[in-house]
Amino acid sequence: MTGVGMVGASVNGILGHSALIIGLVTSLFGAIALGYATVVGDRRLLRTAPNYAWLAGVAALIAAAVMMNAILTYDFDLQYVQDVGSRSTPLLFNVAAMWSALEGSILLWLATLAGYTAFIMWRYRKRLDDPLIAWALVVMFVVTAFFFFIAFGPTDVFATGAPGVNDGPGPNPLLQNHILVMFHPPILYLGYVGFTVPFAFAIAALITGRVGEGWLMETRRWALLAWGFLSVGILLGGWWSYEVLGWSGVWAWDPVENASFLPWLTGTAYIHSVLVQERRGMLRVWNISLLVATFALTILGTFLTRSGVINSVHAFADGSIGPWLLGFFGVIVVVSLSLIAWRGDRLRSPGAIDSPISREGAFLANNVIFTVFAFVVLLGTVFPLIIEALQDRRIAVGQPFFDRLSMPIGLVLLFLMAVAPVLPWRKASTELLRDRLFVPGCVGAIALAVAVASGADKWPSLIAFGLGGFAAGAAGRQLVLATRRQGWRGLVGRANGGMIVHRGIILIAVALAASNGYTRVAEFTMKVGEPVAFDGHTFELLEVEAFSTERSDGLKAQVSIDGGQAYAPAITRFTQMGTDIGTPSVKTGFTKDIYLTLEKATEAGATEAQVKVFIKPLILWMWIGGALVAIGTVLAAFPGKRRRNPTAPTSAPVPTEPETAHV
Amino acid sequence: MPSPGWQRFKRGPGWILLGAVVVALMAIGLAQNSDVLSPEERIEAISKRLACPICDGESVFESRNNASESLRNEIRAQVDAGVASDDQIITFIEQRYGAQVLLVPRADGVDALVWILPVVALVCGVAGLAFAFRRWKRAGGDVPTDDDRALVAEARRAGLDDDPPTDRPTTADRSATTDAAESGEGDGDGS
Repeated sequence: MTGVGMVGASVNGILGHSALIIGLVTSLFGAIALGYATVVGDRRLLRTAPNYAWLAGVAALIAAAVMMNAILTYDFDLQYVQDVGSRSTPLLFNVAAMWSALEGSILLWLATLAGYTAFIMWRYRKRLDDPLIAWALVVMFVVTAFFFFIAFGPTDVFATGAPGVNDGPGPNPLLQNHILVMFHPPILYLGYVGFTVPFAFAIAALITGRVGEGWLMETRRWALLAWGFLSVGILLGGWWSYEVLGWSGVWAWDPVENASFLPWLTGTAYIHSVLVQERRGMLRVWNISLLVATFALTILGTFLTRSGVINSVHAFADGSIGPWLLGFFGVIVVVSLSLIAWRGDRLRSPGAIDSPISREGAFLANNVIFTVFAFVVLLGTVFPLIIEALQDRRIAVGQPFFDRLSMPIGLVLLFLMAVAPVLPWRKASTELLRDRLFVPGCVGAIALAVAVASGADKWPSLIAFGLGGFAAGAAGRQLVLATRRQGWRGLVGRANGGMIVHRGIILIAVALAASNGYTRVAEFTMKVGEPVAFDGHTFELLEVEAFSTERSDGLKAQVSIDGGQAYAPAITRFTQMGTDIGTPSVKTGFTKDIYLTLEKATEAGATEAQVKVFIKPLILWMWIGGALVAIGTVLAAFPGKRRRNPTAPTSAPVPTEPETAHV
Repeated sequence: MPSPGWQRFKRGPGWILLGAVVVALMAIGLAQNSDVLSPEERIEAISKRLACPICDGESVFESRNNASESLRNEIRAQVDAGVASDDQIITFIEQRYGAQVLLVPRADGVDALVWILPVVALVCGVAGLAFAFRRWKRAGGDVPTDDDRALVAEARRAGLDDDPPTDRPTTADRSATTDAAESGEGDGDGS
């Protein structure tokens, strides 16, 4: 396909534009046709609705494929290719260049969203005469149409660039040296965009007035799926930061990171509180509000980070998209609140929660904490904006602020994770709690003892390790009881899969506590032949080497750790951009990582180099925890125990199948 | 079936013992806190609290550009000169570069809101929850009807035949079973 030249260029532009306009029109038609057919009961029109979903899905896919093709075939007539394309970028990073800036990310969002819409249509194609399904699909069509519009109009993804350009700079050099750039954005978007599905069903429930548990059952797995993808996507981002950025951290509370974390927080609150509604028919308004908040926060987060109001290291600013996103956010909030107010009478749920010391009480506490957490993150993110608007003064709210506030919140959540799983529904006696929590408590004490023996010495980390053990013990207790009773089925179903997710989250929390509290750092001017010692390890500079590629050259220092294998942190200079990018080198281990960065080196063959050494305990467990979260989410999505036995202890899976809910 | 002795131990003396062990472990842990930091660790701690003056939202610690580099050198000079407190160094830097290099907002004036509002939110959340529980308590829980009791009794008979619970059923477990009858109360649409 190379060498298509001018003709090919216009073909890509025309194809892309046409795909977007076709997608926009079909999504709008889909929404109107489906809505109208449902209102007047026109079954023939209803049957045509799926075609719109297929067409919009194909259009979005074609738009994305055209852009990918344009980047891979160096079609420099397109503005976006001029921005992120380069003839010298390796294939892998050229593919990832697709989502390395605003326009391509919108296409990725669009393709994911249209894909979800088509898939939901396919899944429910035989039940379109159910107004709940029809209205949910109308909402999906409207959101899809909005993103087609954003891509076609305000962002103008396929805009023609300046004439005569024959090569470009390629993506930001930071996005060109790790394979994770291939996976982090698409997986994150699968989660981010996935929350549109339960949101659409929530709105449909309000419109049809069927605000009971039916829509919850339909969207249970969709919410779980979106949550799982979002969790894994966020963690992959942290992993990328660790492997690439060279300050040895996984999370910087950067506005873009916060934008992905906010829906995760409200989404996590939702997948817990939804259980109270399924079981007790309560909290209807609250659950709908959480879903609306989750979806609205994805839009608000995109507004904050993609419109240039807040700048951050990885925000892509573009002034034209901001007002539309903000307007859309406003529409979502106003429409949802009006619908909730309109359906107020039906949303009042029967029943009462008897005691705070009960499973539902713990879920409510969880919800309060997660909501406060989301509020804190949102406040910290927008606070500089507020101050600038009020007093025309620039301030920064950074990592220390978030760290200081999230630490106590995290500890409370760990405590809840320890207590909640053993609590029965309705009411618990202290006798029962003492009985069930004893073994988990012992596990916590053992964890604390191990932490003390390995040198933990500060309040927050000691408490974190102890509570981590306590919570892991409680989750383990549930899994042991469930597998003893049900065999392998004791590992599937929501309650049991959820316990595996809990263990993953606990591992992540413990890894964070250890690496935030006990990282050792030192910087050395290492000389060849003179080993230096630090924190029980020796480091020896073997040599300084030069390397070069077509577009960059750089230096790497070969540093032998403990007289063994050499690790080679590097500094790469991207000649075209004139920027220096450091690349850390990490020796990974189960108890600690040794993380080396090259700070300064003069030339190849030099006999000294400045190297920074970070010793980071337990960081590997963060990625293992992430894998457990993913596995647990998949297991949780499996159907649990089919038949509900009312005498089974509360560790049994909560009934999930509609037919068993009506014993 | 666990022995009754173990059951008794778990409910009383066990917890006292566990509490004592935890307190002892915490004491040992806190006692080994020596608070000796290498100069780099002090520089790291301080540079994490300062914003890179020319970029957006990155700390001096994370940022790799020259402005941050010179700030780091500034901090290093202060640390090497033996300035005792981190706050002194921060204040020194703030005087030279202006308040926008502070990553942690000061707790005075309007800026204090960023610290106060989270506490307000937490208090509101907890108060709201307390209020809700009071209202629920006044409304009174649903009292199980005779039909519910019959259903539970039948289910329990069936359950004991094929699926003995491993946990010793307790009062609360039994009360948990009553909602088997109630979970049918949802409006049951769409399922």
